[in-house]
Amino acid sequence: MKTLITALLVLATGSAHALNAAEYQSGLAAAAKSAEPGFAGFSAQRGENFYRSTHGGDWSCATCHTDNPAASGTHTVTKKAVKPLAPAANPARFTDVDKIEKWFKRNCNDVLKRACTPREQGDFIAYLLTVK
Amino acid sequence: MKTLLTALLVAASAPALAGDHAYGPFPANYVSECGSCHVAFPPQLLTAPDWQAMMNVLDKHYGVDASLEAKPRAAIADFLQKNASRRQKHDGHASTVQAPRLTQTAWFRKEHGNLPATATTTLPAAAQCESCHTAAERGDYNESSLKRPAGFSRKER
Repeated sequence: MKTLITALLVLATGSAHALNAAEYQSGLAAAAKSAEPGFAGFSAQRGENFYRSTHGGDWSCATCHTDNPAASGTHTVTKKAVKPLAPAANPARFTDVDKIEKWFKRNCNDVLKRACTPREQGDFIAYLLTVK
Repeated sequence: MKTLLTALLVAASAPALAGDHAYGPFPANYVSECGSCHVAFPPQLLTAPDWQAMMNVLDKHYGVDASLEAKPRAAIADFLQKNASRRQKHDGHASTVQAPRLTQTAWFRKEHGNLPATATTTLPAAAQCESCHTAAERGDYNESSLKRPAGFSRKER
């Protein structure tokens, strides 16, 4: 009976252990290694360049998330407020794998017109983790 | 013990409802999925064919990718179908080539006059509800929480 209740509690409240950005990033490292044989680790500098680049289109990450990922942003079309992206400023970021994958899929399509690679995603998180 | 188990089972299986909303209650995932980039629009403001047309092309949603996984997509589509308007004045004119526009229904135009589709220096875009309806997040579109922009008066409508 006790086991059943515990199982139900876990079901009702979500998993006991919340993910964080560094843990998600370590999963990306494995994917990057298999995608790129010469992969030598993530780079916060590359991540920052990626964050600020418009990648040949109209928008960059900074268009909505602002030049400072620790600040609140504004959706460029609807003007709705966007909460800070950097985990130091918003601890809820990168704690839910479904949300992480959903937003990478959508926003990479919007900014780059393609999916982001595991290395790009890992660099991006490396940069965000340097923002205090 | 039996009561506790039942309560836990209900908590685990019932769709979560999100707070107070004048047009609600809305399923929690409607607010989290459709309310993160814009106000979670009341489903009563477009017709069932409009919502269906919109949900069919979420990856090309007014210029941005708003795609959803199959499961939440189906649940939200169902909620929208069940709560859609049946009135002509809420027809958003969805077609095979054009997405429906809540801001182009006869009802919206009567209420909002010629608010522009994109923001100008003096007026917000028609879809930026919260610019004037300061309590839109809760579904409150009453005059008491309305802040009209300077230069947009009833006379000009």
